[in-house]
Amino acid sequence: MAMSGGGVQARVAWLVSRQHGRPVLRPNKALALADRVANKKSRLGEATCITEMSVMMACWKQNEFSERACAQEIQSFYTCTAKAEAERKARSDSVGQTSTLTPKQATKLLQRYPNKRQVT
Amino acid sequence: MAGVLNVSFKMAAGWSWRSQLGPVIRAGGGCLNRRGWIPGPPLIWVMPVRGSRYNPHYLEPELNKEWHRILVTELGPEESAALELRAVRPIKAATINQSSSVFSDPLTSKFINMMMQRGQKLLSRSIMSKTFETIKRKQIESYHKAPESDKDTIECNPHKIFHQALENCMPVIGLTNIQRGGKSYQVPTPLTDNRRRFLAMKWFITECSENRHRRTHMYEKLSQELLAAFNNEGNVIKRKRDLHKMAEANRAYAHYRWW
Repeated sequence: MAMSGGGVQARVAWLVSRQHGRPVLRPNKALALADRVANKKSRLGEATCITEMSVMMACWKQNEFSERACAQEIQSFYTCTAKAEAERKARSDSVGQTSTLTPKQATKLLQRYPNKRQVT
Repeated sequence: MAGVLNVSFKMAAGWSWRSQLGPVIRAGGGCLNRRGWIPGPPLIWVMPVRGSRYNPHYLEPELNKEWHRILVTELGPEESAALELRAVRPIKAATINQSSSVFSDPLTSKFINMMMQRGQKLLSRSIMSKTFETIKRKQIESYHKAPESDKDTIECNPHKIFHQALENCMPVIGLTNIQRGGKSYQVPTPLTDNRRRFLAMKWFITECSENRHRRTHMYEKLSQELLAAFNNEGNVIKRKRDLHKMAEANRAYAHYRWW
């Protein structure tokens, strides 16, 4: 691949040139790798602890929003949210530990060690 | 040192502090930039305000004196592991607000800081101590007026009343704005403990500073609201209940959340 580096440049120059009629390529940006990676739109999760919340709200409606009557439901809601928060944190921590990089991490690294502009 | 001692003699002769600073401010002072050294004073001092500067390896300081008095032989396996970790890891410096005194209370310190305006810490602290004194006086008065059977139920410790009142005012669930299809909806969402504590304190402070007669002092109004909240009454409790009611009314939009 590295051996045909010069060959690629010549080919690109031919494709863009107007000497042989219309140019095949009309690039609006430079035909070179940028020092950034596109951000992947991560799949949206779903709302957590909906059941506990609805149970708590039903209890509230019955007991006129008194906390003493609904103490158990409120406690279960708290435990659910704490668990969901811990899971979310563990997931966001482990994404960096696996072999793949997130787009943000890749961009940060590329900004520190950018691609070579000139072949020297 | 010699310069400081001779201040009184040199004042008349046009002596200035600047001449005494000496090596602190160098004549050729400037700032280092990506483009190189630019002579002259730094044009903009950009100093980030929030956030910790500490390396994540630093551990929190242990302020509790009793913890330090426990014998090493009496520690459990995880506690002795934590102690060994503290021997090798660096420890953060304790901030001014933290104290190992038995009278210091982080919740009270936080409330004092939130009540403080324009850096007037002494005023804020005096308001807080007057609030506690007023609460204690009121409770002792009601204690002496109460019949023998009811005397046990009356709580006279103002710190306990403060803690209980704050706990009674902390909302269970909050609302966030979420945009969907051009419209923004109020979606019920769980709150972190810090956020709940902050909301309770904020409600107290705004309620007591806005809704009072101009001749009523802040500590008087605060003591009234704290005692009312301790008994699950008052405007702050009402505000919390209104938030819960709105969350209950908007429970259909709960699925708009993605976390």
